[in-house]
Order: sequence, then C-alpha cells, then structure tokens
Amino acid sequence: MKKILLLCFAFALQYGVWAQSSVTGTVTDDSGFPIPGVSILKLRSTVGTVTDLDGKYSINASTGDELQFTFIGFKPQVIPVGSSSEINVVLEEDLTNLNEVVVIGYGSATKRELTGATSQVKGEAIEAMNMPRVDQALQGKIAGVNISTNSGAPGGTSNIRIRGIGTFGDNDPLILVDGVIYDAAGLNALNPNDIESVNVLKDGTAGIYGVRAANGVILIETKKGSLGAKPRLDFNAYYGVQETARKLDLLNAREYAILKNEAFAAGGQALPFNNVNLGEGTNWQDAVFQEAPIQEYNLTMTGGTEKTSYSIGGSYFGQQGIVGGPKANFERYNARINFITEIAPRVKFTNVLLYTREESSGLAQGGIGSVLYNTINAYPTETIRVGDRFSYLDNVNDIINPLAQMENTYNNTFVNKFVGKEEIEYKINSNFTWTGRAGYNFAMVDTKVFNPLVWYGPGKFANSARNANLDPVLVDVGGLEIERGANVFEARNTFLDYNLETFLNYDSKFGEDHRVKGMFGLSLVGNRSEGLNGTGFNIPNNDLNFADISANQAPGGFLNNAGSFQSRQRLTSAFIRGEYDFKQRYFVSAILRRDGSTNFGPNNRIGYFPAISGAWLISDESFFNVKAIDFMKLRTSFGVSGNDQIGLFRYRGLLNGSATYVFNDLIVNGAAIGNTSNPDLKWETTFQTNIGLDFSLFQNIDFTANYFIKNTKDLLFQPDVSALLGSYGPGGSPPVINAGDVLNRGLELELGYGSNRKTGVNFRFDYNITFLKNEVTAVPEGFEFIPGAGFGVGGNVATRFQKGFPIGYFVGYQTDGIFQTAEEIASSSVSQPGAEPGDLRFVDQNGDGVINFGDDSDRTMIGSPIPNMIMGFNFNVDFKGFDLGANVYAALGQDIIRNYERQQPFANQLAYNIDRWTGPGTSNEVPRLTTGATRNTVFSDFYVEDGSFVRLRNVQLGYTIPSTISQKIGIQYFRFYLAANNLVTLTRYQGFDPDVGSGNPLFAGVDNGIYPQARTFMAGLNIKF
Amino acid sequence: MSLWIFTACDSLLDIDPEFTQDAENFFNTEEDFDRAIIGVYDMMQPAYLNIWIGEIASDNSIAGGESVNDTRGLHEIGSMTHGGVNEELRAVMRVNYTGIARANYIFENQDKLDFDGKELILAEARFLRAYFYFNLVKYFGDMPLIVDRRISINEIASTPRTPKAQVYAQIETDLRSAIAGLPPTVSVTGRLTSGAGKALLGKVLLYQGKYPEAATVLGELIDNNQGGYALFSDYSTLFYANNQNVAEDVFTIQFSGLQGGDYGCLICLNGNAAVGFHGIRLYNGPLYADGNSYNLPTQDLYDSFADGDIRRDATALNLDEFIAAQPNSEDITYAIGGGGHTGFFNNKYIKRLDERGLPDDDLTSPLNYRVIRWADVLLMAAEAFQRTGNDGRARTELNKVRSRVSMPAINSSGDALLQAILEERRFELSGEGYRFFDLVRTGQAASKISGFVTGKHEVFPIPQVEIDLAGGVWSQNPGY
Repeated sequence: MKKILLLCFAFALQYGVWAQSSVTGTVTDDSGFPIPGVSILKLRSTVGTVTDLDGKYSINASTGDELQFTFIGFKPQVIPVGSSSEINVVLEEDLTNLNEVVVIGYGSATKRELTGATSQVKGEAIEAMNMPRVDQALQGKIAGVNISTNSGAPGGTSNIRIRGIGTFGDNDPLILVDGVIYDAAGLNALNPNDIESVNVLKDGTAGIYGVRAANGVILIETKKGSLGAKPRLDFNAYYGVQETARKLDLLNAREYAILKNEAFAAGGQALPFNNVNLGEGTNWQDAVFQEAPIQEYNLTMTGGTEKTSYSIGGSYFGQQGIVGGPKANFERYNARINFITEIAPRVKFTNVLLYTREESSGLAQGGIGSVLYNTINAYPTETIRVGDRFSYLDNVNDIINPLAQMENTYNNTFVNKFVGKEEIEYKINSNFTWTGRAGYNFAMVDTKVFNPLVWYGPGKFANSARNANLDPVLVDVGGLEIERGANVFEARNTFLDYNLETFLNYDSKFGEDHRVKGMFGLSLVGNRSEGLNGTGFNIPNNDLNFADISANQAPGGFLNNAGSFQSRQRLTSAFIRGEYDFKQRYFVSAILRRDGSTNFGPNNRIGYFPAISGAWLISDESFFNVKAIDFMKLRTSFGVSGNDQIGLFRYRGLLNGSATYVFNDLIVNGAAIGNTSNPDLKWETTFQTNIGLDFSLFQNIDFTANYFIKNTKDLLFQPDVSALLGSYGPGGSPPVINAGDVLNRGLELELGYGSNRKTGVNFRFDYNITFLKNEVTAVPEGFEFIPGAGFGVGGNVATRFQKGFPIGYFVGYQTDGIFQTAEEIASSSVSQPGAEPGDLRFVDQNGDGVINFGDDSDRTMIGSPIPNMIMGFNFNVDFKGFDLGANVYAALGQDIIRNYERQQPFANQLAYNIDRWTGPGTSNEVPRLTTGATRNTVFSDFYVEDGSFVRLRNVQLGYTIPSTISQKIGIQYFRFYLAANNLVTLTRYQGFDPDVGSGNPLFAGVDNGIYPQARTFMAGLNIKF
Repeated sequence: MSLWIFTACDSLLDIDPEFTQDAENFFNTEEDFDRAIIGVYDMMQPAYLNIWIGEIASDNSIAGGESVNDTRGLHEIGSMTHGGVNEELRAVMRVNYTGIARANYIFENQDKLDFDGKELILAEARFLRAYFYFNLVKYFGDMPLIVDRRISINEIASTPRTPKAQVYAQIETDLRSAIAGLPPTVSVTGRLTSGAGKALLGKVLLYQGKYPEAATVLGELIDNNQGGYALFSDYSTLFYANNQNVAEDVFTIQFSGLQGGDYGCLICLNGNAAVGFHGIRLYNGPLYADGNSYNLPTQDLYDSFADGDIRRDATALNLDEFIAAQPNSEDITYAIGGGGHTGFFNNKYIKRLDERGLPDDDLTSPLNYRVIRWADVLLMAAEAFQRTGNDGRARTELNKVRSRVSMPAINSSGDALLQAILEERRFELSGEGYRFFDLVRTGQAASKISGFVTGKHEVFPIPQVEIDLAGGVWSQNPGY
C-alpha cells in the first residue's frame, strides 16, 4: 500500500500536478548571476523542482511550508514560505567541501557521508596546471598519491603510486574513466580539460573493485552537460615554449685534456694530449638541447534541454621535445560527445564517446645508447661535424655522436582510439534503481620504424652499414651472399578493453532516523589484444621516402620477417554493498566482492574480498558544542583487496622457450619449455586499515587526516629459482609463485582554506603532505633478496628487494673519505685489496678487517628511492579580475643513483672531477683519476645522491575582463594568462631532473640520463560564449 | 539463482592460450621430438663461459675488459679470489642444468610415441646430458643428479648433492649408450656422431684417472677412425671461419652469424659470444675487428712456446708486433681496456673483419667452438697410453700432433714423456678453454697458478644463492 502511494507521489511529481498555490522566484549567486539547476524541495513532502536557465523557479507551496534550496558548491538554505508568493534566494558559495559528491564505485556519496579514505580533485584544478597529461597534473594534488616521471619526453609516461609500493610487480592503480578501463599509459588519450573530477579510492573501501583494487582505484568523470542549461561554448588555448631547466656541469675541452692526461699517466699509459690549451671545445649539450613549442586548443559546447544534457568538444594538443624537436613529438587530436537523455519516463540513457588520434615520434632514451647518455659521455675535444659528415667519437667504445643518432632516428607511432560507454539507468521506484552498462576502450596502435644504413665510426655497435660509404653488410644465407640494407619495421596492434556491468541500487529511509542503502551487481571485464608486424629489408636508396614494407627489395624475401601475437584475459565478478546510517550521524558500510580471473591457476581461480567501514559524525552529537568546529567526523575502514596483474597464463607450463641451433650452417628452430608451471598461483592480497578524521573550522577551513597500514601479502613474482629446475634457458622463466610481504604505513594530511568573498580578495590555499614508510617484511623462503638494477656496464646489482628494507633500496659499499697516503693505507686496521692513495676508503661492515669485494659481506644499504615525505601546495588568489595561482610539489628523502657516467678512459666526465684527489690533502670526497685498475668504480655511496627536491610546477597570472565589458562583444567570460611550468626546482641532485621514476620499483631512482621535464613558458586564454 | 549466475560466469574463465603449445601436451609427433632435441642442442651454445673460465682461471690469460668491474666474476676467477657470489659461475650451473632439464623432458615423454629414428634422438639426448653433467662435475664436483624427469619446485629442498663418482657413472652410462645409437658420420653438419661420443667418453675417463679404459676407447677411435678424422694441414688458419667443420672437428658446437642479439641475454645468442668479446678494443686496422678485449693471453703463455713453433702466434696475437709489421702501421689504432692489458689477444677465437655476423657483431660471430678436436684426441690418447705403460704408442700419437706444425719429434719416455705430453697440450690447445681443468686434473695447478690453494681451488664454489635456493641443505665446497 505504502509503495503504491509512493508511486503515485512520484507520478504526481513527474507531471507537476499538485493543487496548491505557487511560489516563484529567482536564485542567484552573491554576484547576482542566476544559477540554473538549483534543486528546490518542499521539506516533509516529495514536491520538488529545479531552476531554469535564468535561475527562475516555480513551486507549489503555501504559507508554513519550508523550501530547501540546494546546489553543488553552495551552502544549502531552508526558507519558510511566508505571505509573499515571490521568494528570491541568494546562495552563498560553500568554501568547505562537505556536500561535494564523490564517486565511490557503483554509486556516489557526499563528503559528509563518506566512510572511506577518498580524495577528489576538481577539473578546474587540473585544467589550471596546463599539463599535457592528467597524471602530470595530479602530481602533488592528492595526499597519499605519489606520481613520478618515467620520462619528460613528449608523450612520456608517469607512475601513479597510491599509498606506497605494494609489490614489485604491477603497481598501477585501476583507472576508470566514466567507468571505462584505461591503463596508465593510455591516459595520454585524455585531454585534461575534459575532466570534471578525479576521485581516488585509497583505502579498503576500494575493495568494491576486488582483485583489481590493491593498488587503489582512480575514478575519472568527464564533463557532462546539465539539464535545462543554455548552450555554452568554451574555448581554451595556450601556446608555450619549452627549454631544458638544467644542463649538466661537464668538463670543457681544456679541463678534459688535463684530467685525461692525469688519468692516463696514473694508469701508466702515454699522455693523450700534448697540448691541453684546447679552450671550451664542443658543448654537446648546447647542440642537443633546443627550444621547442607546446600548444593546445580546445573547444567545448555544453548545455541541456529539459530531458537531455550534452557536452561536445574537440581539441588539439602538440608538443615537441627539448631534445630532438620534431623527432620527439607528441600530438593529440580529440573529439568527444557525451550526452545523457531521458528516453522514457524514469529511464536515463548515457552515452560517452571519445575519439583520439595520437601521433608521436621518439628517440632512444633512458639508458646506454640513449641520446642523452651519448651527449653526456661525448668528449669536448671532438667537433660535432668533420667536413660534411658527423664526427665519429673514435676514442670511445659504443658512444656515438648524439646528433647523428637523432638524425638517423625515424620512429613513429600512430594511435587511433575509441573509448565509450553506453549506460541505461532505470529508476524502478523511489527505492530501486537498476543500471546496465557496456564500456569499451579500443585502440589501434600503428608503429613504423625506419632503420637506415648508418655508420657512426669504426667499431660502433650501432652501425648497420659495413663502412662509411654505407655499403650494406653481406650475409650468408645458405651459401648465398646477400646484402642486408636499410629496413623498415611496421606493426599494427589492437587492444580492446571491455566491461559489461549490471547493478541494482537500493535506497530507503525508515522513519526519520534510519537510512539503508544497498547495491548488488555483476560484471564481466576483459581484454583482447592482437598484433601483426613485419620487417622489410633493403629499402631502396636508404631513403625514408621508400620506408614501407611494400618497397622492400630483399632478394627472394630472405631477411624479411613477420610476427604476430594475441592475448586475452577475463575477470568475472559479483559484488554487494550495504550501507546504513542512523540520524545521518553513524554510518556503516560493508562490501563483499567475488572475483574469478583467467590469470590464476585452476586451483585458485576464485577470490573473495570483504571490506567494512564506518564513520561517526561527532559534531552532530548534542554534547559537541565547540563553536569553531562546524563539522567533525571520525572514520575507520578495513578491507581486503587483490592484484591479478601478473601477465597471462603464468600458471601454465608453456612451450614458449627459445630453442634454436645451427645445423648445416642454418639456424633451425626447436621447442623448449619457457614458462614453468604453478597451478597453485593466486592473487596478491592487500589488507588495509585506515583511520581518518575530517573536520572543518570557521566555515572556511577543511582538514583531513588519514593514517593507514597497508599489508600486501603473497606477492606474485618470479623469484630466482634453483638452477635444477632448468628454467634458465633462452626464453625461459621461473614459475610465478606467491611469496613475500610488503608493509606500507603512512600518514596523510590535507588542509584547505578559502577566504570569505566579502573581503573582495578571494583566496584559496590547499596543502597536503604524506609521510610514508615502506618495508619488505618477507621474501620467499630459500633466499635473501631479489636483485634489481645493475650499476655501470656489466657491473653488480645495485638495487634489491630484501626483507627489512624498502623495496628497491640501494646496496653497495659505504665510503669513508679517501686514502690520502700510502702510510694511511698500510696503517689502516682494515685492509682494502688494491687500494692506492687517492682511492675511496670503504667501510668494513662485517668487521673482519678486510674489504671483501668477492662477496656481499661488506655491502650495505646506501640509499632508497622512496621519498619519506611528499608534499603539494596550491595557492590561488584573485582580486578585481586578476588571478594568481601557484602549485608546488616536493618529494623529500629519496636517493638517486648517478648511473649515466660511462667508465671509459676517453668518456667525458662531470665537472666535480675537477676537485679530485691529486695528492695528500687535496680531496676527501672525489677519488683520483686513473685508467688503470681501480675499485673506485664499484658501486658505492659515491654514486648515490640525495634526490630530494622542491619544484614550482606551475605558476600562473591571469586577468579576466569584467563581464559587463566582454558581454558587449557577446562573450560571457574572457580571461587571458601567462604561465610557467617547472620554473624553479630546488635540489642538490646534479643530474638533469630529480624526478626519476620507473615502472619497475626495483629500477626506481636509477638515473641513466633521464629525459628531463621541460621548463615551459606559456600564454593562454579562456573564453566562454 | 545466484549460484547459477556464478557458474555461468565462471565458465567464461576457461580459456586457453591461443596458438601456443602446452608443455604437457607435446611429443605427439615425430616432429615434436625433433624440435625438442634442438632445444637440448641449443644449451651448448653458451660455450663462451667455458672458453673464458677455462683460460682465465689458468696461467694462460687474464680477464681484461672495460674495467675491473666489467664481468667482475671473471676478474675474481683470474685472481683466484672468487667466492660464492659469482654471476659467471652461476651461469655455468644454470645453463648446464637447463640443458639437463631439456634432455630429461624428452626422456620423461619417451614412451608417448614410437617411430623410426626415435632411438637416434634419444642417443643424442643421452650424449648431451652427459656433456652437461661432465661440465658440472668439472666445475663443482658433487652435483645433484636428476635423470629422466623434470623435478618440481617443491622437490628442490630435498635434492642433495650426488657424489661425483655417481654422476660420473651416469655420464659413462649415457655416453656408452649414446655411442651405440649414434652414426659414425652424419649428413647434417652439426649433428652428433659416435666419434664425438667416444672422444668425450675418453676425456671423461681421463678426468677420472681411468687410464686403461681411456686408452681402449681412444685407441679404438683412432684405429678404426670411422669418422675419417685427420689433422688439418695449416694450424695457423685452423680457426678461421673458412676452415670450420673439417676433418679435425670431432665434437664441435655450431654457431651462426645470421641472427642478431643483445647484451641482455648472452645465453640466447646463436653466435659465439666469446669471439667478439675477445676482439681488440676500438681496433681500426686490417684483418681484425674491434671487440671488448676479454680473456687476454699472458706473457707467460707467449714465452712458453719453443722458438719456431708457429702455434705461438696462432694462439696469442702479439698486437704491437702485428701492427708494426703492417704497411700502414701508423694508421692502425686501438685502445687499452681498464680491465687489464697484456699486449696479447686470443688469436683463435677472435673477431676478424670478414667473419662478422649481423649487428651487434660483438655477439654474433659465426665461429664454431671446438669442444674436442682431433689433436686433442691424439694427445689424450698419448697420455692414456703413456700412463698405461705404452710409451711407444704414446710417442706416436704425440708426434702426429707435433709433426703437423713441423716441430721435432719427441723421443723421451717415462715421466719425461708424460711431461712432454702435458706441455704439448698447452702448446696445442691454449686459448680453447681446457687449460685450467688440465692443470687441476694433472695436479699441476698449485705450481702454475698464482693464488691457487690446494684442497680448495680444484673446484669452484657452488653459487651461494643456489645453495640458498635449494633450501640451504647443500654444503659449500671446502675452503669457500
């Protein structure tokens, strides 16, 4: 009976038929602008309406009723209806964020109701950063989220790490854009201007996403229109110039000659330079770095009719590299259509569609053979060009002329991407809503790499020609000598991520005090990848214009080759959530998710992931009467989540090993086991406890604190296994097993302050800080550690995953100054084999009186790539149309390995070597130089630097023309601005860029000559019609 | 209802990898067996480890390279300071056990199918398994013996080291069985022969001090010579690519320059990695091509040759002398590596200008590695005969080797003859990776290798990480 009644009420509401006198009015903000879309509810009734385009409304109410006006971003107001039939309302902007709606996965909640640790960043804050990618814009914006950069090259990617590093496998969070799965690299497709909000689920409540949630979940919503809003056209554009923020301090030709003479003399070799007065010589960095443009143009139309809202837009973004210019290029074309429409009463259809085309080109970066590595190690006594060719850098092995290298690089990628979602939401009645949706993310990635015949000088590994005349190498194919000319590699790979989801939401109030919400759903998530590639040899004339497989002239097709791959994975899930609150004061929420993944073995295919959370709104208690505190809430959560991203079919033994041998002088292919099987393989499990406190003061200060303990168990990884298993062959890999635990503990504080508008100066200030401690608490039985990155060329392992230490900590010899004299070496209580005056003095860790170079006994922790603390600071002030904003990011306490110095006799060196040891008392920091045998090049803390930095990531000064003036030319809003990104970086690190990330936590903080993030100066404008 | 949904959904999870053969569903056709045996052959190709360690550990050469940290394990072996942390020794252990696992994978499935020619494949697998185990006992002494099946990760901790004698017994059994199943000659270059099996068996017996048996096996191989083996006439060009797979080749690992490679996986290469690594650093001149200056012969080796022995220059390239003899000597340049310099380079396995493979040609040399060549067979036979009292036959075999290089015949007998045979092994076979093991086998190591500790350095330490991975139940070799 009651239900039928409710239905009737709902019906009545739909058609607005209600016999009562009407109240009308206009709702404006405090500067007098009408606000469309404000919802107005007659309290203690189901009667409600919204304001129209001009902020006008009409509602049936009579004297004694109370009307509640609510709109996101404004404080709600309740106004009693008096004798007047006109009520005009001025809504006051809400500077706290309690009523902001946060997306939490298959539902949403206001900040007031939240029980989990969830952070939100608004689209405007992302837009203001003028960053090419949303992840770059998020750096320092959210407590507990650490974003590090893999490469500053255009199109380069970042690592998003929520609440520490839980595994040395895949640490990427689950990213859903409008409910559609994106991988972290795929964020390149997204225009940051299109984002409405970024919501980050950090704690156990992310467990609603079960076996994909262990690394946290990021829910991104793109901009949608609003019902009944006039069409509005937004145009945003900026143009900027980028430059390198730093060049390394390297030796000039004179310094180089002097130091090399000294090193050769010390090594007992003839002096290479008779004359050291060679002046400055070649500055390779000046030749390699350049200024490069960056630009973006973006047009969006949003609006809505009574039943349909829409947001349609297009954009172009283009960025060239500060190394390589157009050879390190990234361009993005975007077109999107979002619309939501009521296709039948109570049935809402949502369509999201994004088309992106990316065009990019890239240079070798991040290691030996990269352009910057070559630039650092190229010596200044060589000119860039010799006659009409590039110089050879004959004196160094494997280091090639970086300018020649850039000229010979042709590496292009084209991505065509369709991302979309179709969703139907059916409001069955006032309690039940059913949603069904299908999402897809389809990308077609085309790659073309032209490898011309090149000659970088005698003996260079990168040569593909036989000689300087670019004669092709001759190869013997079964007795037939054929030329191996220029080749072109082409690939077309397609990737489809899809999800099908259905869920039912329930929401009901029982009496005044009890509210129950429930949700039950099912989902199927999967992906399918396929690829086809080929290489065609003997491209005519060694010419880019013929760089296509179709043009190949390989005799008989020998040499040419083709390849393909395909993969698929699936995840089936069921999930349920129950929420209950009492008097909007006590909140409890419980989650259970059941996941089945194709990545796991038959013995462990299904996992269950529970979570529970609760909140207590202390400030609503009658005993709470602290005037200054408007709001105070205590939260706690505990949840279990998983990580299934370990590659496909790793539980199976596969015949994908490499088995090739030579019979009759020809290579023959056989078969061998590659992956070793483990049918017991299962997910990594994360147990997370969170305690949080939110409060707001004086109506304008928000404060949030979270403390978390995140325990990741059963890490999925491939440890070294015993040689006896025979998994060490070519293409072989050890079984993936579950072993090893990691503990992350941290404290996150977020502080927001917004000034009152009445002062005329509007002021907004946000600060967040995260303290994090990462520790490996268990490694698989049977061994001490898992080795990570190597140091130098053929050098020893410098990073490890080891119990009792942070993931990827640095292990090597600790130094204690420099041996000044032979007597000092002789009288030292510790004998150091091979030591000579001027050598680094290592510390005897195990106290046996000898520095042991043959084993690990004297190696110790000499650094960690994980910051102790990260901070973000945002500041905005506006006054009379002027606005000034700044964003600062700081990461403190992490270390970096300087791994871009090639230990070769003739390689150039950093200028710190000028202060080397040259005799007793000359230096206690920098060892002597020699080309002879020395232990100074073993990995020690001499090669580890403090990587802490504070960076002014964005500063922006804008001016908005008063709307009274701009409206005369039909423009609602006109702002122009000047901005700079990465203007200032404070750091003691001497490399290009202290923001050195790696997707693999065991390689984090190892700087192989990272492509630095550019310093950018921009001018831009924002126009709304 | 919900159960039904779960069952329906879970059935979506039953997918298999596409277009990929599963390890547990193999050996269904003859071709499967053929492919599997290629996988076993493949594991011989990391022979560079033997060429390096067998020389660098001995008095024949030093490690060299870009710096003392460049392949540090070799530097430690060179100075007899090696311990339980040594990547190269670990690679030796892993490579050989992988070969064994690949061979055992065939035996595990040998009954799945019968076809003509299966016995031949099994004979090859036995030979190769014996070769891998022989490497292991030479390096490490007692090693776990796993036969005819793969073991699972859960069994590792309960797999002890097997006494060396027992491993040798298995090696002999395998080799004798392989010899019976292999043909004396093959039409496919690179496939194993019964001659190779006999030569390897002779060597295995010699290493165990089973001289009478060794004399029998090697004598029979020489007398019957079904493989048509002979010494190659020109010693100075014997190691040129053009003179590969000649009558002197008895047991040879084949390489090709037709596939590229990278430094990230040396064991994956189809080229002979040792050759490019032995090359002269930044060399720009005739005949040779540049490389990484590894495994540099010592002055001691160079000086040990008698005057007029052409094998000296064919073994150790005296670079400065070579350059000085060139018409354009002033234009020829090279660099000295920070890992050491002796002035000499391995002139047998060295990158030559016209013998390079595809880029990166440091890694893709097509030069084969001769595990056992006919001269070695003759010298092994000489030793076995001498040690069993047949000095006459011993002199005959020894002098065959000497006369090829026009060195005067040796007429001594008794211990003097034995010493002459052992010295001849150095003159004839240096640079080929035998020296250290010969010195250890004949008890001369302590007197020849500085830093060699008797009772310790006869075998290498078992990599500590392998002991740990095996549950810590294996004891380390004495002295380490």
